[in-house]
Parts: sequence; C-alpha cells; structure tokens
Amino acid sequence: MKYDRIIISVIFSFFFYCNNLTAAPAVQNSLATINEKALPTPYMVIPFILLLLMIATGPLFYKHFWERQYPKIAFLLGLVTVAYYLIFLNQYDNILHTFSEYISFMALLSSLFVASGGIFIKVDRKATPFVNVLFLLFGAVISNVIGTTGASMLLIRPFIKMNKDRIKAYHVIFFIFIVSNIGGALTPVGDPPLFIGFLRGVPFFWVIENVWFIWIPVIILILAVFFVFDWFNNKGNDKQVEAEYSGNFQFKGYRNLVYLAVIILSVFLDPGIFPWIPDLYPIPFGIREIIMFAVVYLSYKQADKEILRDNEFDFEPIKEVAYLFIGIFLTMIPALELIAEEARINRDILNAGTFYWATGGLSSFLDNTPTYLNFLSAAMGKYGLDINLHAHVKEFVSQDIIYLRAISVSAVFFGSMTYIGNGPNFMVKSICERAGIEMPSFFTYMIKYSIPILIPLFLIIYLMFFH
Amino acid sequence: MTTLNQILTSKPTGLYYNNRLILPFQGIFLKIIVNDDIITDFSPSSKHIYISENENYTDIYFKEYKHLKDSVSKYEAIKMVLVEKGKDIFDFDNHKKIAIYLKDKHQVTIEETDEDIIFIE
Repeated sequence: MKYDRIIISVIFSFFFYCNNLTAAPAVQNSLATINEKALPTPYMVIPFILLLLMIATGPLFYKHFWERQYPKIAFLLGLVTVAYYLIFLNQYDNILHTFSEYISFMALLSSLFVASGGIFIKVDRKATPFVNVLFLLFGAVISNVIGTTGASMLLIRPFIKMNKDRIKAYHVIFFIFIVSNIGGALTPVGDPPLFIGFLRGVPFFWVIENVWFIWIPVIILILAVFFVFDWFNNKGNDKQVEAEYSGNFQFKGYRNLVYLAVIILSVFLDPGIFPWIPDLYPIPFGIREIIMFAVVYLSYKQADKEILRDNEFDFEPIKEVAYLFIGIFLTMIPALELIAEEARINRDILNAGTFYWATGGLSSFLDNTPTYLNFLSAAMGKYGLDINLHAHVKEFVSQDIIYLRAISVSAVFFGSMTYIGNGPNFMVKSICERAGIEMPSFFTYMIKYSIPILIPLFLIIYLMFFH
Repeated sequence: MTTLNQILTSKPTGLYYNNRLILPFQGIFLKIIVNDDIITDFSPSSKHIYISENENYTDIYFKEYKHLKDSVSKYEAIKMVLVEKGKDIFDFDNHKKIAIYLKDKHQVTIEETDEDIIFIE
C-alpha cells in the first residue's frame, strides 16, 4: 500500500532530522536534566485517549472505515505528539528514545510471530477440560522460555484445533489470560517489562525467586475457573458431535525452532549486559534488533510453504500491531511523563498497594513496559536512587523488594485486562477471527470476562501480598 | 446435473475481479469468512455481501472490500460453508467447507478444506 511507504519514509526522515539536531552526549545529558524539562500540557493526553477510544470503538461501530484508515489515524495522532514535542517543547530525545523502544518491541514481536508461523503443531486428541487445563498450564510455563508472544503464536492454532468441535470465545480468552499474559511473569524473557527491568540491572532470576509464590496460585485459580467453564461446555457437547481422534501428535518446522532459539539468545545481546557488544548509536537499534529482523526475513523465506498455508500465515496481524503501536508509543509519551511527575511528587505517600494498582491499571491500557519503568523509577526515587544506574537498581533490589514485586506482577498480570494490554492479545484475537471464531468486542471482553474473573483475583493478590 | 461433490473433486477454478468472486457452482451459503469478517447474513439487504445466482455459476460481491487481492494474502483463503441445493441443510454431513485461494490472472482455486486448516463452522 502506498501509505505504508509514506509512513516509513516520514519516520525515517524524522529520525535522521533528529540525529542532525542531537549528538550522543545530548541524550545522556537529557536523562540527568529530565526534571528541568518542561512538562507537556495535560491536553496532550487527548490524542492518546482518542486513539484508545478508536481502538475500542472502531471494530465495533465503524469496522471497515477503521480497517482501512487505522494506520493513517494511528500515525497522524502520533505525529501530533511528535510535532508538539518538537515545535512547542523543543524536545526530541524522548521521541527518539520511544522510537528506539518501539523498534526493539517490533523486532521481538515480529521475529517471534514469523518464526512461530513456520511451525505446525497438531494434537489430534479430544480436548477434555482436563486436557485443556494441562495444555494451558504448559503454555504458561513455556511462555517464560519463548516469551508470551512466541508461546501464543505457537500454541493458539493447536489449541483451536484440539477444541474445534466445541470452541467458544472463552477458550480463547482464557488462553489470552494465561498464555499471552500471566504465564510469562516468571522470567525477563516472558514479558517485555521484565526484560527492560533485566536490562536496567534487575538480576535474571530475581523475578522467579520473588514472584513464583504469587504466580502459582493465580495460575491455579484461573485454570480452576476455566475448568468449571469448560466442564459445563463439554457436558452439553458429549451428546453432540463425537469426532474421531487418532491421538497423534504432529510437529513440523524444526528449522524454525532454531530460529526461535536465535531470537531468545539474541535478547541478551545488549551492550548493557555484555560491554563487548557494539552500541550502534545514533542508529535507533542494535545488533539484537538486526539479528531479529534477519530472522524475520530468513524464517519467512525458508519456511515450508505447506506449513504457511496450513497456518494461513499472513502479515496482517503483525502489521496491525506495528501500526497501532507506533501511535500508542508516541501518543502515550505525554501521559507517561505526567504520570511519572505525579509519582515523583507523591513518592512519599506511595506504598506497595498504590504501585500495584497504578501500574496494573495503566498497564491494562498503556504499554506495560514504560509503565513499569516509570513506576520503578518512582519507587527508586523513594530511596533517592536513579533508575539509569545499574548499581542503583541492584541496590534497590537488595533494599526493599516489595515495590519491585508489586510493579513486576501488576505490569504483567494486568496486561490481560484488555485486547490492547499486551502485544499478543490482538494477534490471538485476529487469528481466531480468521478461523471463524466470533470474538467479543473490546468492551464485552472487559465486562464479561476480564473484570468479573480477573479483578477479584487481583484484589486477592493485593490483600495477600501488597496490602 | 453435476453435483457439488463432483465439481469439488475435479479441482475447479473460479474467477475474481476486484470485489467480485465468481464460483462455478451453486449452493446454499451458511457462513463465509474473508479476512477477519465472519459473514452469516446473506439476505438481500446484507451490508456485507450480495449473492447472485446464474445458470452455471454464482457471483459473490463483497461489498465492504474494494479489491479482494488487497485483503487476502497468498497463504490465506476465503472460507465458506455451503450445502448443495436440494440436499438436507439440517444434516451436518451435507455441509461442505471450502477454501478459495486467490491466484494470478484473476483465477481462484477451490478446494475442500483439509483438517489442517482451522475453520470453525
């Protein structure tokens, strides 16, 4: 499409324009002088709210207009924010930084999406409620190894196929809850905010050591609720269709397992972890992103065409994420800056419960990675520590873990509250609709599923661990 | 008269022009999935689709699409559930699930979906 190229060329023109304005030390200094910068006017949150409202209402009330126009809308709203920062605030470092984070985000998501799209898994056995529970539990565990995106892309199709005779929207929604979000709360590979925390200095095994005792009961409780739903659904089904199952397990696309391994390993290729890795600054991506984009190209080119066809592989879901999230990343900059400022001002009265609900509430609608960072920054501010210094992060981790635990848990868990809470949620929804499954709208998802099922659970976590 | 079964086993082709799909058979359509649109309203006032039956073929106009080729990629299919005319619509064994792949030169290939393609009726 024509506007694809226009959008890409505008992004890169902007990037190179900013590179002419800035120099390496400028960005470094900006971190130190962040408090001296002018804050955006609260009105600049309007493009973000507008975009969120359109994401929520577009597919519901003006679907085909939205489908045709959402790239332009997301991009234009993002451009309003960029123009405001450049012209009125004369600031560009946060735009560049956001763009760089966006590229990392898309590199990880697109490489996992394409590499897992070339893998075909078929479990030809009847999906009883117990088998489904085991499958979702496996998904929760594996999402800590290949990320929630990789696990979602790899497992959603076999999950649908297993349940093809009686699949309902709730199957997919519990899949989103468990595999696409909450499951990945144990390792930095699991979910992007934890990964960013790891890059900033949180030890790799800190998360599993400090979150496992929350993760296990939450997963068990959600699986128990799912089991009840599925048991009732299966009960009626026993009298209906009884398909024949061979009990076979089929796996095709072994080469792409290697690509998945490459992606996971490349996650650690960061100059902050291994100083020998070259920093490509001022280019807004690093060796890691180059490897990931190379995997996108190679795994697609070398994929078995039969597998792509069986998986009905299409770039549209990842394109949708790419377009919407460029808008979300850019328009949320003012919102996050204002939140960070509020958190900084009120840091003395902020407690673990506040961090838990604030991080969670915002992670439901905003990208959970910057939300995590801002609240981590505010929590560290309580001790006079700077999030930009590895040593300070390590000191913070050793001083008081309850804040970091609250922020880590809520940033990941609350991503399941809406379709836009986490990248894979949207992709899973899109794959299911293409398979013929009618998915609930944005609001129905919340009203019928996430609020009644997850909020009581999150409340219990709050009362038990962060009250 | 050639049955839908016989037509499908002969690996037929159809045609498409922009948003118009021409299939070399007739049938009672129950569900069509194009992109992530699940279409079940086939009434004359449907916002999504218009179906016109001719002697040996069926025209399907996807009203909300300008060009099918822009929305359906090469590994994706337009999927349909239909029943041959004259057969019992209430018998699930008569429900045919077919996948239509857009090819070059306005051609489409039509095949019954195999069990590897996810298609929930």
